[in-house]
Amino acid sequence: MTATRTQTDARTITDAQATQLLVDLVSTPSLSMHEHACAALLTARMSALGLESFIDASGSAVGVRGDRSPDATEIVLLGHIDTVPGVVPVRMEGDVFYGRGSVDAKGPLAAFTIAAGRAALPPGVRVRVIGAVEEESATSKGARFAATNYRADACIIGEPSGVEGVTLGYKGRLIARLDLETDSSHSAGPEATAAELAFEVWSRVRAACEARTAGSNRIFDQVQTRLRSIHSDHDGLADRAVLTIGFRIPPGVLPTELEAICAEATSNIGARSNWHFVGHEVAHVADRSNVVVRALMGAIRSETSVGREQLPQHSPTPNPRLHRGGGFGMTPTPKLKTGTSDMNVIGPIWNCPIAAYGPGDSSLDHTPNEHIRISEYLASIRILTRAIEAIAGDLL
Amino acid sequence: MSATPTTATACTCPECEANVPFARRPLQGEVVRCPDCSAELEVTALDPITLELAPEVQEDWGE
Repeated sequence: MTATRTQTDARTITDAQATQLLVDLVSTPSLSMHEHACAALLTARMSALGLESFIDASGSAVGVRGDRSPDATEIVLLGHIDTVPGVVPVRMEGDVFYGRGSVDAKGPLAAFTIAAGRAALPPGVRVRVIGAVEEESATSKGARFAATNYRADACIIGEPSGVEGVTLGYKGRLIARLDLETDSSHSAGPEATAAELAFEVWSRVRAACEARTAGSNRIFDQVQTRLRSIHSDHDGLADRAVLTIGFRIPPGVLPTELEAICAEATSNIGARSNWHFVGHEVAHVADRSNVVVRALMGAIRSETSVGREQLPQHSPTPNPRLHRGGGFGMTPTPKLKTGTSDMNVIGPIWNCPIAAYGPGDSSLDHTPNEHIRISEYLASIRILTRAIEAIAGDLL
Repeated sequence: MSATPTTATACTCPECEANVPFARRPLQGEVVRCPDCSAELEVTALDPITLELAPEVQEDWGE
């Protein structure tokens, strides 16, 4: 079956339309669990750009273009449409566009949408863009729905790797909450307070986690622990403390191992204790030779139209060894991230070639200074368009 | 620095000049490891097969 386009020739999508899509998405608030208005906007724009679009049962915006036969090769571009809280006034200052979600992750999602509309798709291939809901909450509702209701032969996750970066993997995660209670005692006496016991538990957990991955040089390979909060109180009868610990988990370590470490830390603490665990995610790392990574790396190298003065300051110095063919191509940089993304949800289930890509500096995620360079955003669209076409050609 | 291609199923490591064999024809952009020095090498051309040092993987925080 040959791909069809429902509107005007989608490959004529202009940079002005691409920029307007980003501006409009960022201008439409979409806190986690409150994404509907933005999802409706995105599906309307998808239809106008030549994608068949709908809002699925999870609330995610979905657009499809290309061969609709059941056995067609499917390339999924999975971004997220929700943002964290915090109003960042929307404004354009020259090439720089400010607004909540401009980097994390409406920039990558808008780039996915435009690239899906522009890419030349051969018969037998379709591309599906998903603007998933609730990525910024521990539920990952949109990605979990997608994992079991769609399939993929190749997948790009939409997160800010930077225009020259390709993210190969993310660490896993676990969030642990401890409720600890002991009988009140006189503060002049020898009994430890609940606050002191809670801190002792934290020290034990941290030491055990450091020992679990001792000898690992890269942070990516270590169990990272973070004391996220500690509160204590007493009412004259009981001393109480509440502790929240965040774990970032490397490949080879399961969340259940960390649950066991926590249980061991309170086994003889001398107080009533109860652990509650949420946000279980296992680390996921892609094969760096897979078709998606190779396509993105090649597409980055062939991108020459953005001068280096326009790139973010964190971009590495051009390396002549990597600028093959004599052009002024960008320098692709494979990355491993210590955070988590929907790759952790999708990757183990779809088990297909995968990588994460998107414009923007991830150090601006969740900050009051969140912004993206339009020139970088437009370059990422050209890179994604070429990568989609290369993946399609490789998979057929 | 790039490696000197040898045969269709082998190439020279640009780092240590050891022989890097291929069990099958490699893919453009594929990353392989030198059996001698463990350097990660990227296939940058197929005809003839050419290897260059692969870009180093960087660590980054965030999503």
